[in-house]
Amino acid sequence: MNYELVVGLETHVELLTKTKIFCSCKNSFGDEPNTNCCPVCIGLPGTLPKLNREVVNFAIKAGLALNCTINLNSRMDRKNYVYPDLSKAYQISQFYSPICTNGYLELSSGKKIRIHQIHMEEDAGKLVHKAGDVYVDYNRGGVPLLEIVTEPDISSSEEAREYIEKLQMIMRYIGVSDCKMQEGSMRCDVNVSIRPAGSRTFGTRTEIKNMNSVTFMTKAIDYEFKRHIAIIESGEKVVQQTLRYIEETNSTQSMRSKEDAQDYRYFPDPDLVNVSLEKSYVNRIQDELPELPESRFKKYTEVFGIPENDAMLIVKYKNVSDFFEQSSINLKNPKMISNFIIGQIFRNIETESDREKFDILTTPNQLNKLAILIEEGKLNMNLAKKTLTKMLETGKGIEEFVSESDMKGLSDEEIEKLCDDAIKSNESAVKDYLDGKEKALKAILGFVMRQTRGKGDPLKIEQKIIEKINCLFV
Amino acid sequence: MITREEMENIANLSKLYLSEDDFEKMSKEMDGIINFVNQINTLNDQYNLENNSNSNADINKNVLREDEIVDSFPRNEILKNVDGGKDGFFYVKKFM
Repeated sequence: MNYELVVGLETHVELLTKTKIFCSCKNSFGDEPNTNCCPVCIGLPGTLPKLNREVVNFAIKAGLALNCTINLNSRMDRKNYVYPDLSKAYQISQFYSPICTNGYLELSSGKKIRIHQIHMEEDAGKLVHKAGDVYVDYNRGGVPLLEIVTEPDISSSEEAREYIEKLQMIMRYIGVSDCKMQEGSMRCDVNVSIRPAGSRTFGTRTEIKNMNSVTFMTKAIDYEFKRHIAIIESGEKVVQQTLRYIEETNSTQSMRSKEDAQDYRYFPDPDLVNVSLEKSYVNRIQDELPELPESRFKKYTEVFGIPENDAMLIVKYKNVSDFFEQSSINLKNPKMISNFIIGQIFRNIETESDREKFDILTTPNQLNKLAILIEEGKLNMNLAKKTLTKMLETGKGIEEFVSESDMKGLSDEEIEKLCDDAIKSNESAVKDYLDGKEKALKAILGFVMRQTRGKGDPLKIEQKIIEKINCLFV
Repeated sequence: MITREEMENIANLSKLYLSEDDFEKMSKEMDGIINFVNQINTLNDQYNLENNSNSNADINKNVLREDEIVDSFPRNEILKNVDGGKDGFFYVKKFM
């Protein structure tokens, strides 16, 4: 029998707020353990949480960017469970009335992955296991999270990959999270089930917790898909449970039997009051949203004529895309900039995280100047590339490498004279050309370019040479 | 009456390991607690109260905090209730 895969994702993103969600402790990664803590975030009795306004703003931004309904009334609930990463024995989250519902993220195929809801919650502390004992760091306790929950609309590990990568991009563009999976600021729980192809009912699902790499997530999904099929084919039943993915063996392992929602005994947190938003407040945030990656991608491919793969490489990293936007101002052909970025600048920036940072020595304004010189025919591509390399190595401005006389370019008279000289000095090449050897023209052109040390516009000069040779016989 | 199954589930969720005697004793106590709290339902009939859960939250909306950092507590204060912790951490013996 053929089976189809059914996947739903719950993605946690840590927010880039300055402080935690319910107290004013610093929200920061990698500090000494338990140094960003206070009685609220270590959950001492009698303390009173107070919601961070910026968390609400970020949740609204995320909801709008993912086409959600923003619920004007929402509130925080308690989710009860016992584990040392959570000293209060409950997590403050949203269950009954989350802030965003009913959105979607569109994949490149045009398929829409529906977003069931986005809710605000606090992160738990970090457990460090040493020799069987557990050491707890509550710096992460109370760090604001958004949990973004899809409907079970994903039907392959590749779709899951694209969903996560797009989500990452969107969150970075709107500035709510840096989504660094390796640092845990983006983590993913994967719900997997299977059903006979074409069936509308759902099979029993298993949940793989805390995936922190896209590659491992796709491997885990593929592994679970096969495991479910093997269980069902052998006449057994899939057990609903929570799993952990083991990277070394590419397999999953049971963590605990899955708790039902009722086991969490959700109830409204009496320490926190409702969040009630004005429509105008939401509209203002909508107006302030930056251009999203999807729209930039369309512009790059459809208006600028940049090939899709290249456009994707630019859009993928917000800093690169911003750099591209600024350096292509007033250009007739912005594609030149994407060629410089991908063909030249990226050559020395290999890792994803370095591309994300895009910390380079030249500015968009400098690259823009360089491109304008090319467009005006004052600088040929070869010389431009060499100049850019020097700019990237030294951080010095374009003026350092291209002289004023170079920037002025060659006057028409100068070109005329150079072409005349070249024709005189290359009689045999001229003869070859007239005999129908097109290639011979390149030799004459090369002669001129050497004289100009590469600063003339080769197309223009070539035209001039042809014109002059034709004139010889008039 | 609370069932044996419900008691087992609650004990399991609370990471409590109950002996047979505990089960009997605690089931009775649990029933007592539930009956005690159930009295609240009779108030509704008596005083005709509307279901107004978390009414305080409806009245006081949007108590929000600006996103500004305030110094955290010194770590020795934070770890004071756990005998100073271990290497700057809260420390829990192997538990499962």
